Amino acid sequence: MNEVIGIIIAAVISWLNFVLIDTWMGLPEAPGVKGAEVIGRNIKKRGGDLAGGFFQGNIVCSPDASAGTLLASIGCYLIGTPEGGLIAAVLVFFGNRLCADPGYAGTTGALTITILIALTSYIGLTPIMFIAGMMIAILTIQGLYHPASSKLLGKIAQRMGRYTEIE
Amino acid sequence: MLYIVYIIAIGSAMILGLILKLPLLPERPMRQSWTTSVIFPTAVLALGFTAMVSKLGYLTSANSNYLIALAIGVLTAIFSKFILERILPRPLQEESPDESQEVSP
Repeated sequence: MNEVIGIIIAAVISWLNFVLIDTWMGLPEAPGVKGAEVIGRNIKKRGGDLAGGFFQGNIVCSPDASAGTLLASIGCYLIGTPEGGLIAAVLVFFGNRLCADPGYAGTTGALTITILIALTSYIGLTPIMFIAGMMIAILTIQGLYHPASSKLLGKIAQRMGRYTEIE
Repeated sequence: MLYIVYIIAIGSAMILGLILKLPLLPERPMRQSWTTSVIFPTAVLALGFTAMVSKLGYLTSANSNYLIALAIGVLTAIFSKFILERILPRPLQEESPDESQEVSP
């Protein structure tokens, strides 16, 4: 497959993987660690959405599905599919606990993207496309414009019934 | 067949985990739960440890592979039940600020 098209498809898959899993696991509902709350409130102060801000704070402060997606892609590239992804899932779990975060979003994200990498290898997608794709996916959330991305994440959280009740 | 090795490792870890009275899943909301359970993280750890052993080249012949997978499963369940919380304890500091907030008003 053409590398550019592959990276675009991988970016879309990675984006959906980590946003849907993180939202389903309740990242927008509440900050898992103290730093996430600070980031969430700061994003709200700058015109963003609080639930989206908590989501963004949570993925900065501890390994969640975004880190799981990236690390599993790197693991599959370095070690092989699916072993690299499975090893990454274990490392993400330990990373979560070291960050005092009890969640399982990172581990779940690493396992689901490993399955997706294994399945999409049949249409020519490679783990390195997923590494590049995930970098683009996380850039759209964390790197461009926080107020807009947090509002989008807040709307997704509302649709999935995971909007925060914290004021 | 490598996938049978994974199934044996997960199966043995889960069965021993249930025998050791680990809950099947952490209580809800899972995001706030520190409970070690059979699915999370025992089964995931069994998968990862099997992948590590496999990639380190210890899975060579079919017969010994199944025994190694069984051993990984058993050791993972014991690790989850008795050792995991010692090396990764629950943070105690999390509770104190909340308590002080409740008391202060």
